[in-house]
Amino acid sequence: MKEFEMQESGQDRKLRAKVGVYICECGPNIAGKVDLDRIITDISELDDYQDVELVVKKYGFLCSAPGKEYLEEEINSNGFTHLVIGACSPRDHDSTFMGVCKKTDLNPYLYRIINIREHCSWVIDDKEKATVKAESYIRGGIARVLRQSELFEKPLDINPDVLIIGGGVAGMEAALSLSSDDRRVFLVEKTDRLGGVSIDLSGILPGQGEVIGKKIESVLGNGNIRVFLNTRVENVIGFLGNFEIELLSEENTEITEIMSGAIVVAAGGTLFDPRESDRYSYSGSDEVYTSLSIEKMFAGDDGAVLRSGKQPSSVALIHCVGREEKNYCSGICCSYMMKLACFFKKQSADIQVTEFYRDICLPKKNDQERFSEAQAAGVALIRIKDISLKGTNVSFERISGDKDKQSFDMVVLAPALEPSADTEYFADLLTVPLDEFGFFQEVHKMTNPVGTATDGVFIVGAAHGPKGVSDSMQFARASAGQILTRLIPGEKLIPEVAVTEISEAYCTGCGNCLEVCVYGAIYSDDSRGISVVNEAVCRGCGNCFGSCPSGALRTKHFTNTQLYREVDEALR
Amino acid sequence: MSQTGNILVIGAGIAGMKASLMLAGASSKVYLVEKLPIIGGKVIKNEESFPNLECSTCMVAPIQQDVLQNPNIETLTYSVVEKIEGSAGDFSVVIRKRARYISLTDCIGCGMCYEPCPVSLKNEWEENLIDRKAIYVPCSGSLPNVPVIDSEHCLRIGGGEDCSLCAEACAFEAINLDDSDEIIEVNVGAVILATGSATFDLSSIPDLGYGTLPGVYAPMEFERLFASNGPTLGEITLRDSEKIPESVAIIHCVGRREQKYCSAVCCMYSFKFARFLKHKIPSVRVFNIYSDICVPGKSYQSFYRSVEGADTEMLYTSSIGDVSVSESGSGLKVSYPDAAVSPQSLNVDMVILAAALVADPDVAQLAEVAGVDLDPQGFIKTVLDGSGSMETSREGVFVAGTAEGPKDIQNSVVQAESAAGQVAEIMTSQASSS
Repeated sequence: MKEFEMQESGQDRKLRAKVGVYICECGPNIAGKVDLDRIITDISELDDYQDVELVVKKYGFLCSAPGKEYLEEEINSNGFTHLVIGACSPRDHDSTFMGVCKKTDLNPYLYRIINIREHCSWVIDDKEKATVKAESYIRGGIARVLRQSELFEKPLDINPDVLIIGGGVAGMEAALSLSSDDRRVFLVEKTDRLGGVSIDLSGILPGQGEVIGKKIESVLGNGNIRVFLNTRVENVIGFLGNFEIELLSEENTEITEIMSGAIVVAAGGTLFDPRESDRYSYSGSDEVYTSLSIEKMFAGDDGAVLRSGKQPSSVALIHCVGREEKNYCSGICCSYMMKLACFFKKQSADIQVTEFYRDICLPKKNDQERFSEAQAAGVALIRIKDISLKGTNVSFERISGDKDKQSFDMVVLAPALEPSADTEYFADLLTVPLDEFGFFQEVHKMTNPVGTATDGVFIVGAAHGPKGVSDSMQFARASAGQILTRLIPGEKLIPEVAVTEISEAYCTGCGNCLEVCVYGAIYSDDSRGISVVNEAVCRGCGNCFGSCPSGALRTKHFTNTQLYREVDEALR
Repeated sequence: MSQTGNILVIGAGIAGMKASLMLAGASSKVYLVEKLPIIGGKVIKNEESFPNLECSTCMVAPIQQDVLQNPNIETLTYSVVEKIEGSAGDFSVVIRKRARYISLTDCIGCGMCYEPCPVSLKNEWEENLIDRKAIYVPCSGSLPNVPVIDSEHCLRIGGGEDCSLCAEACAFEAINLDDSDEIIEVNVGAVILATGSATFDLSSIPDLGYGTLPGVYAPMEFERLFASNGPTLGEITLRDSEKIPESVAIIHCVGRREQKYCSAVCCMYSFKFARFLKHKIPSVRVFNIYSDICVPGKSYQSFYRSVEGADTEMLYTSSIGDVSVSESGSGLKVSYPDAAVSPQSLNVDMVILAAALVADPDVAQLAEVAGVDLDPQGFIKTVLDGSGSMETSREGVFVAGTAEGPKDIQNSVVQAESAAGQVAEIMTSQASSS
């Protein structure tokens, strides 16, 4: 095997190779519809390659335990330099046969599976046609495998420590879940205190204030969590397992350098500014308040009172502020507005409380209680189609189409949750794309909601999308789950092997590839005027390959030469 | 105390598979126990998942393959957990691996055995919309792609007759008609319960006509009707007449009043159905009858807005619990109070009931075996509700996905990741303390 050297770009050289071609009968699935004996004869007699010896055989079930043992024995005893398997879909058994190769001296990247079942025997009734197609596929496979190169896994040492950006409830939850004697956590908070928005929210969880207070104490008292207050993240380079980070403290303007294996972004969210829409005539200085400022009042000693200090005799609670402007439902406002309504009623049963809502959205199994409680407390619930404010005078259109007006002492708005102002800064810093709403974009909405395009960077809490305290903690724990199961102290990571490489000779440094790389795996080496691939980050997706005008890119295991040779031979 | 890095995961839906893969990746040995003969859970019943209408099979099949090929995961399909004794770090688990009668290693899934089977039964996995044999795979594309024999209805095993037509048809000698249940005992350090949920019992509201009026459908029935690997190969036709419906009413919030919670997914799947219908039957009229639109989170409302008006007319009712369905000529009449509380009605060919997600009927039994508490709604209770912790009332036993309460795929996965993290955390601390 070692004497065989593959040259990527040259003409056909004299190749000294011994290629094993093993065709799986798959019982009658392949053997019944394809004339395997004819293929074996034809392929064995191929004289297209000088110095290439072909060994062509068939076997009942190559994927079975005896089949795999047989294959292993054949590879070892024949000393194959390459292996082609004619069998089923690679989705079924590519990894099976790669696994067999790994047990032998044959590099698994010098093997190729050719699908003659789904592509031939299962879809072509005519045995002659199926046989011809299968044979041409296998010939293509041989042509290709001779152009493949050995590739090797390069295990990387990892740093198990974690940087958490944001000291709110999500960041603290992640920190507490992750810290241990063999995993340090760096918790960076831009303000002068931990707790984030949750400190201002009363009664979301039973004993909320106490819970948050205890969490802060646990974080501060944890020897494995280092808290940086009044600090911002200035620079980040690296990849999963190995990030280098610069932190800048506001106080002493000194840069602190830290290393971590993963980054959790818990940068939080902020409230939609009602001033962005004229319908609420919100000024921030009269008796129209946002829900958050009312939460803060209820958390204090005096309760929710007017600017004069007097108790309001009537309060309007207005849902869905900003929902149409943002084009999403924040999913938490109905629940906390019902809670606030009950707080007003508790403060004084005489307060006339009216909720103006469009839809009731109570997506948690225990949320419905809030609605019942508000109803039982005598809160008036008015379903509207449209609403506008002039100070505390509310004009609205009922769902029935009737128009109406009511005046209140106090109005409380439930603004949508939107991405915090820092989101774009972090997106740029961490090479994580934002979605259409300005939140961080997850890898996959359903199957990987906390992962990002930059592997090792996770998004949790309201930085991912509008969510409440409970879901923020849930997402934080999910990110902890990913980190705890992937960055294990003392173990190594094996990055993608079939990555892209850039030829320094051909690259003009145009930067097209940087634009299309969703993983941030390509950077510009300005001193040499070229683009360079970080192999630890590249996933071999091939996006860049198509964008290169000068043919400087090559995705290992999927090179032009390999693909063209396979196609040419299959079509010959 | 003996400590073990092994883990038991019950339920091979999206949450159970995800948690298993994560823990297997962290070098734990995972026993993944699934009561059905196939893995994949509810998600694979949906051809496309909201909000992106992404092909569910394409999304889940790679996960299923990863589970089946992972050397650290021992997948026990068609199996039930009968006992979980001991305590966190050292549970003794008894698993009954029910007789499948077909060898998972010898069978290649060619399907030659179904044809000769003389028994015809309703296929429960296909919501009884099509027949199956006593030897069958629940659907095409099943993973593992190996059939099972319904022993109760098999002429030989259940009926004592001298039939072995399936075994004779098998070219691989993969069928063993003398197979029997196997009891497997394993030792694990932690348990994750990810057994999913069920659909609200629609026949409990007789006014909606489910079970009596053939034009009334449960949501999962409609999912299968739309699915290209389903009973009609994706053709949407009415079950009694094979007629293509010209008008469809989707009634929201079915079971919300009874269950006293909002399931948070029904609005979205109702809008998805409207899109499906319009896509396959461009001339169809679709009506969504609703009281509240619940589309929480950043991704859902924009889908609703794209469907509203374009794929469906939205009809508001002042009381969704007072909607009723009756027979009217050859079709159905849907009656509901409108915004002004005046009675209105609508004639349609088909009605789909957007039913609540409810606790799986088997969960009570599971809770007893696992020694965990249920919440008032019948789901598995977490001890620190609202904290994101997935720990149940029994230390070392965790829950994830819709077994904990109604939720979408995203939140099921997030819970699975949380539970896997908590298990990894205790495994690490046990390893370092021992």
